[in-house]
Amino acid sequence: MIFYSRLRIIDKLSANANLNEPIMPSTDKTDVFLQVIEAHKNMIYKIANTYCKDPEDRMDLVQEIILKLWQSFDSYNSAFKYSTWIYRVALNTTISHYRKNKTRNRKTAYFPESIISMAGPADNTQMDQNTVQLNRFIDELKPLDKALVLLYLEEKTQKEIADIMGITETNVSTKIARIKNILKQKFSQIKH
Amino acid sequence: MEEVNFVLLWKEQYEKIDQSLQINRRLLKDSLHQKAETALQSVVRTKQIGIAIAIIYLILLGLVLSYAIVHYSSAANYFIVSMGAIFIININALYDYIRHLVWAGAIDYSGSITVIQQQLNRLQLSIARHIRVTFLQLPFWSTFYLSDRWFPSEMGWGYIVFQCLLTLSFVTIALYLYKKLRLENLDRQWVRSVLSGAGGKKVRNAIEFYTEIENFKNENKC
Repeated sequence: MIFYSRLRIIDKLSANANLNEPIMPSTDKTDVFLQVIEAHKNMIYKIANTYCKDPEDRMDLVQEIILKLWQSFDSYNSAFKYSTWIYRVALNTTISHYRKNKTRNRKTAYFPESIISMAGPADNTQMDQNTVQLNRFIDELKPLDKALVLLYLEEKTQKEIADIMGITETNVSTKIARIKNILKQKFSQIKH
Repeated sequence: MEEVNFVLLWKEQYEKIDQSLQINRRLLKDSLHQKAETALQSVVRTKQIGIAIAIIYLILLGLVLSYAIVHYSSAANYFIVSMGAIFIININALYDYIRHLVWAGAIDYSGSITVIQQQLNRLQLSIARHIRVTFLQLPFWSTFYLSDRWFPSEMGWGYIVFQCLLTLSFVTIALYLYKKLRLENLDRQWVRSVLSGAGGKKVRNAIEFYTEIENFKNENKC
């Protein structure tokens, strides 16, 4: 039964993985998990970066997300895509982390070094005015709206967003339309 | 007017970052099992002091109560019944608190965002449940000092009326608070004040977030 479940995990992994990197099927749970994380590291980084601007806090958050993913890995439901599972766990962890951090001091990091890092220096100095404005706008949003905008910008379908957020597709559509309108207004104000 | 493509802006922003991100697989693999356990233990540790204080309080109550039962005399009837009720209510509150902690540790984060956030938030607000239950002990604090030896036989009507009114008012207040201190009544200012006062900033934030989730789920409000 366990073997069958692992085979399903590996099948699912192959179907979901970022094909830029070849994934070698493995029956070891830790190895499979590491491959899933490797294939979706960009997604985890983007979520952490959207909610945490402070690099140290972001490092803590990435660690917390990966730990929660690990704890939840045994109960992964293969009826969902890996990306849906990661978005749910990562966003739930992030929103809780974000809310806790309003009232607490920085906790000791679980890991001594950064799990996700850049191969080279981040080139954020070249951001144009529009990107700065977009980030500023996202930063001002409430945590749930922020999750919604992030999923929209990642080009998830309305159905996927509704599944991840736990609201109706109509609600997703209404909220995204409203947020886009506000964004457009803000951008037009800058240009005038 | 030229329309800004937000999705394209987002993609461009992460294009370079996406290519340069690296995972420290060795570190992650080495530490994963051990650190996941440590993280869970730290959550439990933070609640241990509160539980220890509650247990000490319950032991003291239990000792007083068992002494009264072992050295039983009809003069202690009011005391035994009152302390017994206070003891049971507090045991129930502690059990409820521990149950919520266990429940908190077992929440599966892979559920949809609004559902899981609502569950987590309700857990933070579970203090409301503990508070409303503990208010039920209020009337018994107005009866534990009475004794069959002198009440009501040796007391004048004035005192009997005063005692009855006192206990009755405590019963009324306790039942009213028990009925009203619910999450459904968070729109009432005094309910928010009582819960915030009992749980501090954490509960105030949880109350705010409760409203935020409700608004988010509501299709008409944005």
